Amino acid sequence: MIFRKTNTAMNKKYLLLTTVIAATSLSAPTQARTLQYPTVPARETISIKAAASEKELQNAKSFVKAVADEGISFLSNDSLSKEQQISEFKKILKKSFSMKSIARFSLGRYWKSATKKEQAEYMDLFEKMVLNVYANRFSDYTGQELQITGAKPQGKRDILVNSLIVSNKENFKIKVDWRIRSKNGQNKIIDIIVEGVSMSVTQRSEFASIIQRGGGKVEALLKELRKR
Amino acid sequence: MKTKRTFSLFMTALLIATGTLTSCASMNSGENQTEENVQVLRDPYEDYNRRAFRFNQGVDDVFINPIVRGYQTVVPAPARTGVDNALRNLNTPTVLLNQLLQGDLEGAGNALVRGIVNTFVGVGGIFDVAAKEGIEHEYEDFGQTLAVWGVDNGPYLVVPLLGPSTARDYAGFFVDSFTDPLRWYLFNIEEDGLYYGKTGMTYLSLRSSLIDVLTDLENNSIDYYAATRSTYFQRRNALIADQKGQSQDTIAEFPEYDDF
Repeated sequence: MIFRKTNTAMNKKYLLLTTVIAATSLSAPTQARTLQYPTVPARETISIKAAASEKELQNAKSFVKAVADEGISFLSNDSLSKEQQISEFKKILKKSFSMKSIARFSLGRYWKSATKKEQAEYMDLFEKMVLNVYANRFSDYTGQELQITGAKPQGKRDILVNSLIVSNKENFKIKVDWRIRSKNGQNKIIDIIVEGVSMSVTQRSEFASIIQRGGGKVEALLKELRKR
Repeated sequence: MKTKRTFSLFMTALLIATGTLTSCASMNSGENQTEENVQVLRDPYEDYNRRAFRFNQGVDDVFINPIVRGYQTVVPAPARTGVDNALRNLNTPTVLLNQLLQGDLEGAGNALVRGIVNTFVGVGGIFDVAAKEGIEHEYEDFGQTLAVWGVDNGPYLVVPLLGPSTARDYAGFFVDSFTDPLRWYLFNIEEDGLYYGKTGMTYLSLRSSLIDVLTDLENNSIDYYAATRSTYFQRRNALIADQKGQSQDTIAEFPEYDDF
């Protein structure tokens, strides 16, 4: 059976809150200086590295906190119209999410088989789809809170910030992990993992299926996305 | 008499389970692989599965979802939480057994303590007192145990009325229901009805906790079948990895792109 008894917490509210976004870009932590200072004794090199990455983790945590706060503030502002909410959300999305990375990842290996024109249209349609999907979820927000519970390095380049979305009203807790990548001094979210389910991986899997069933052509996906 | 029948049913289930597993071990792995991480997602029976999935969607629309919505309307949220907790508490023997089979003594200890505390302090399991004290519920089943033992997912299977799972997890599901001491007990005292009632309630409570997520996924996906399949695999892998203490490994590689 599907999801046999996971967590009562698997509620759609999480999907909404996961969209909660935005934040001041925090200065990117400097890389470990091992290469720049080859004469530094090994032990000190290690300590510099550890210190830098601790700072990095802290940065990532406050980044996620700030994004969530900004998201919650527009979601709980009743005086905003739907259009204003969408435009607020757009700002957050642009500033704090690497939409390009997410879009590229979601197309997976089919990116290479797409023509330049298809790639450009895909990028455009992908962003529109994300906006649409989340705009439909704004009304689901009913006062949940985000608690940052930790952060750890993920893979070679990223940091995974762990959080819990808590609703006291409905008595649930959902585990949400935010995958943060920083480049050119900017932190950006590249994936949201809810109770072990990655939004980006799910999207990629779905797109791959649509393309495979459409004879391996990216056009098959574009056709679907245009309809949305 | 009853015990004998139950036991032979149990053996049959084991036979079916092992039979299924053997057949999935020899299953061709080449078909329809996607880029899912860790465990490769195999769906060799996709055409059949899609048909079963559509059928289930119809059943959900006409029967299941109205019943679930009715349940949510009639029974207030705190009472539903109590029902969930109590059902979870009744499932303690299964969790305990699987923790032991997975060699997780700490997990088994937690399950045991939870069972005792919640039964006696939490009024028959209605209140999850143990979780408030920091001993959180951990969901275990025989499918996960098999995974910990190194058994592969096997093919993805959507069964009419039962829903999506894999060969391995279905085998696990049957083994769990036959090893459930509550089932043995209720069948022996000729209260089969109570057991089926509990099973039905568990299903209802599960569907109630999923209805919003599934509706959202359905509304916001282009290929709902593929989105569900991916979600199922990821969720199971996360549950299994938790058990092995390697949650990091289930997270996909995310390449670096020029555009950021």
